[in-house]
Amino acid sequence: MLEIRDVSTSYGQIKAIRSISLDVPQGKIVALIGANGAGKTTTMKTITGLLVPDSGTIHFEGRRVDGLKPHQLVKAGLALVPEGRAILGQMTVQENLEMGAFQRNDTAGIREDMEKMMSWFPILKERLNQLGGTLSGGQQQMLAIARALMSRPKLLLLDEPSMGLAPIVVSDIFKTIQEINREGTTVLIVEQNVKQALKIADYGYVLEAGQIVLSGTGQELLANERVKEAYLGGRKVQ
Amino acid sequence: MDLFNPYNLQVITFIVLNGILAISIYITLATGQLSLGHAGFMSIGAYVASILTKQADVPLIFALLLGGLIAGVIALLIGAPTLKLHGLYLAIATLGFGEVVRVIFLNMEITNGALGITGLKSIGSTLYDWLKVTGLTGDSFGLSVLQMKAVLTLLFLLLLFGLVLFLTLRLHRSRIGRAFEAIKADETAAKAMGLPVAYYKMLAFIIGAVLAGFCGGLFAHITTTITPDDFNYHKVVEILSFAVIGGSEIVWGPLFGAFILTTLPEVLRVLAEYKMIMYGAIMVLVMAFRPHGLIGTDTFAKLFDRRRKQAARQAEEGM
Repeated sequence: MLEIRDVSTSYGQIKAIRSISLDVPQGKIVALIGANGAGKTTTMKTITGLLVPDSGTIHFEGRRVDGLKPHQLVKAGLALVPEGRAILGQMTVQENLEMGAFQRNDTAGIREDMEKMMSWFPILKERLNQLGGTLSGGQQQMLAIARALMSRPKLLLLDEPSMGLAPIVVSDIFKTIQEINREGTTVLIVEQNVKQALKIADYGYVLEAGQIVLSGTGQELLANERVKEAYLGGRKVQ
Repeated sequence: MDLFNPYNLQVITFIVLNGILAISIYITLATGQLSLGHAGFMSIGAYVASILTKQADVPLIFALLLGGLIAGVIALLIGAPTLKLHGLYLAIATLGFGEVVRVIFLNMEITNGALGITGLKSIGSTLYDWLKVTGLTGDSFGLSVLQMKAVLTLLFLLLLFGLVLFLTLRLHRSRIGRAFEAIKADETAAKAMGLPVAYYKMLAFIIGAVLAGFCGGLFAHITTTITPDDFNYHKVVEILSFAVIGGSEIVWGPLFGAFILTTLPEVLRVLAEYKMIMYGAIMVLVMAFRPHGLIGTDTFAKLFDRRRKQAARQAEEGM
């Protein structure tokens, strides 16, 4: 569904990602893991058009999409849940959700999706008229995901959904992501919480210093010595 | 009657005019853009409208509208390269634009250089001429011709101000208003939600410029004289202060700012030479105690909250 080939992106002189290639097949959950500064967020921003790559190609559903503007990509069916949630604090939960459907004008469809979000995220239904800024971190993350889903994406991109959340909330979020995937939305997730991400991922890529150094199914990577050592706190067996 | 003293009427007229200017800076700020080009756009509107009425005998209304429109077109041309800039860089670029416009007007023949354009027919005179056609004169209301003209000018401005304010409030509740709010709150989030951010920023910039241009035309036909120096750096600061002192979160902020900053110098007139000291002190105090301006979203939230509670209580009692 999403094919990235040899993409490099830089901030001025500094190359943040170098010649990255990865695939997100339809209906799957793909995880991109790595430490701070590995280039995970840069990769996400490049896919969603917030950054323009220096070289390489990105194809979405067979159509070349690198260089397109973010709003054109949302229209094409890509939705990003940005790092740090980016809730509009001065707008109510309902208004936040409506903003997610900004590009749509099928009123009936929007209302239907609104109902769907209410049933998926009951907590949002209770707080519909509350300001986004008054929600807790976990609730804001739910709202951010729901807002992204309001654009009816084919591919949902999540940038560190577990950031700054309590472990119990994190597992809730990951359960939700799995449910969304089961309903037919393809997911690309970027995470530092390697264990959780690989558990739900069909396939994973490991990013280090702007390059992909490893890839494999979620299970393979979880069992991989190098991953264990670097990210899962496992000791090297001498 | 003291209220109908032409001097007092003129002060009130300027409060209303500055109110429209305040709305113009508010709309640009509503997308988080700090533009210092408003005096430039104002001068474009002023010169276009003045040249049209004076040299080409274009009816006042059309001249005013054309002045705003041309300011808008220039904003489109200027905005294309500059709106990619953020924060202070945009401020510097637009400030530069304003100065360039001023220097151009200073050196053009049609604008009469530093002497400016004088002897414009005032809004009051134009309206009075119309009124005379209907057979009414100042005497019909027990007012002198001068008073009558001032009253007519004020009524005309109030009408325009009401219209602009009404449209702005409608805009705020519309899809466009929501987009502005989202862009101001978080540009990246707005992009991620699929908002064509560049388009909306340009739209806000142009609306602000059209309003400023329109105000320029009005200004020229109230004072009947304009020179390039009427629209210099100080004018920009003055317009921006409306939003800084009043607050820029909701439209009532800059409006209140315009009201305060236009009345204050008149009220402080009794202090004579200490006037500017007091003026400065008040500005400093406002910034120290209300850094986001005198009126913010919280000001009204509190008011509405009280009202909502009252309504809830009444509903309970009714049951």
